[in-house]
Amino acid sequence: MEVSLVLNLMRLEMKKYHIGSYIKRAVFANFVILAVIFMLIFITKVEGDVDFRTYQTALGIIDSFVRAVFIIFASVLIAKFIIGEFKYKTITVAFMYPINRKKLIASKLAIVVLFTFSAIILSTLFITAIFCAVSESFQLLPDTLSVSLIIQRIPAVIMNAVSASCIALIPLYFGMRKYSIPATIVSSILIVSVVSSNSGNFTLYDIIFIPITLAIIGISVAYLSFRNIEKIDI
Amino acid sequence: MTYIVKTNQLTKVFEGKEVVSAVTMHVKKGEIYGFLGPNGAGKTTVMKMLTNLTKPTSGDIEIFGEKLNDRSYEVLKRMGTIIEYPIFYENLTAKETLELHCEYMGYYDKKEITHVLDLVKLTNTENKRVKDFSLGMKQRLGIARAIITKPELLILDEPINGLDPVGIKELRELFKMLCKEYGITIMISSHILGEIEQLADTVGVIKDGRLMKEVSMDAVNRSQSNYIELIVNDGKKAAFILESKLNITNFKLVDDNCIRIYEMTASQKVLSKTLIEHDIEIEGISKKTSSLEDYFLKLINGGVTSA
Repeated sequence: MEVSLVLNLMRLEMKKYHIGSYIKRAVFANFVILAVIFMLIFITKVEGDVDFRTYQTALGIIDSFVRAVFIIFASVLIAKFIIGEFKYKTITVAFMYPINRKKLIASKLAIVVLFTFSAIILSTLFITAIFCAVSESFQLLPDTLSVSLIIQRIPAVIMNAVSASCIALIPLYFGMRKYSIPATIVSSILIVSVVSSNSGNFTLYDIIFIPITLAIIGISVAYLSFRNIEKIDI
Repeated sequence: MTYIVKTNQLTKVFEGKEVVSAVTMHVKKGEIYGFLGPNGAGKTTVMKMLTNLTKPTSGDIEIFGEKLNDRSYEVLKRMGTIIEYPIFYENLTAKETLELHCEYMGYYDKKEITHVLDLVKLTNTENKRVKDFSLGMKQRLGIARAIITKPELLILDEPINGLDPVGIKELRELFKMLCKEYGITIMISSHILGEIEQLADTVGVIKDGRLMKEVSMDAVNRSQSNYIELIVNDGKKAAFILESKLNITNFKLVDDNCIRIYEMTASQKVLSKTLIEHDIEIEGISKKTSSLEDYFLKLINGGVTSA
């Protein structure tokens, strides 16, 4: 009952904000990431850089890119679905419905988290597939692709998606303070610069402690931001 | 008496400032309640508290006989509201706006959409985006949204802002119709006295967050006395003549030269004739009506006793 109510609310929210246009933008982002990856390979080839030669590295870079793009993308969703509602006072419309405020906000957060999670999984799949296909047929990397490498990466990709979609909630804290859309998006860029900085084979994200801590912070931020939502004045 | 809305000592403090102070108001079932007050008097804050958007600092609210608390969501189903100015998700079309509204309210008669748009005279705008609407059109759409679910209580905050005179008249008729035919209780706020005067059954006057008076229009109309004002050279003598010769006792000597007669037993002609016969010079004689406007302005400016 509760779940179906929230699901229904999510459906209405997605209708309200024309979720289709965001899906299109996510697809577009995929092509941009692909283009950048190929450009990177091209540059490393010209420069004779040795770092970018194995599939291990390449797939790691794809992960970082996808994560970065969709954490920022999530902040745009947060800005639109949540911060914007407060900033433009449309929340007064939403809160005048006979619907529990907490469930309403929960449905919005669920959309952000699920959208980010699925976007990361699907984009990683898509970009990896295209990248491997192209690179195999044109021998872009001196390395050979093995099935075991791909299977070995699956848990990492899922972990990546789960933690990134929670980390993506952190900008909520900065955005909700003054109902500021720029603050939301800028803070997500700062977060990305921390979690997706990739120096050679090493990223901060690889220290498992960091993504887990940040994910917990993300969830706490979401909880704390709306814990008292039923008591606040609109 | 059944009250749809009842507040008791309702108070709201914002940043140490009392914007609504101890408001105790009563809205009867099936009436149009006019909520009158100058800008910034606290009308919107009271209405926000009634719709549970803003939480009272102290005091309580009863709607449909139920005490409002933080988690009163069900009562909202029975209410239609416009607060401050109509707010929309501007990217949606008029039709989408109303569809979504119905879904959120749990109301499923989609046929109503066309009907209600006709009612507020917004025909053929279903597929127009709200962001392309003028203020007047938004106001109408806001009203359409508020009434589409046939609520039992309509709370309309300044619903005629931004409308032209024809539009105001149309909506006035609409409100009266909704009240009469659908039995909807309407609470409507305005700073325009004329509007309230023409619509309301009961008027609540609010100023500086205080409810100065809550009175039925009938009572106001009854208390509005007409009088004849006489300007004479010798008021005292004239008063004596009025009493002794014409048996008029209900009058008031305003000052040495001015008398107000509240009894309409003697015509102006008889009055002047009698007074002249007794050597009183009449400088002026006129019939006056103290208007409703005077009544309310007195309340608002003078700060008469609270209700």
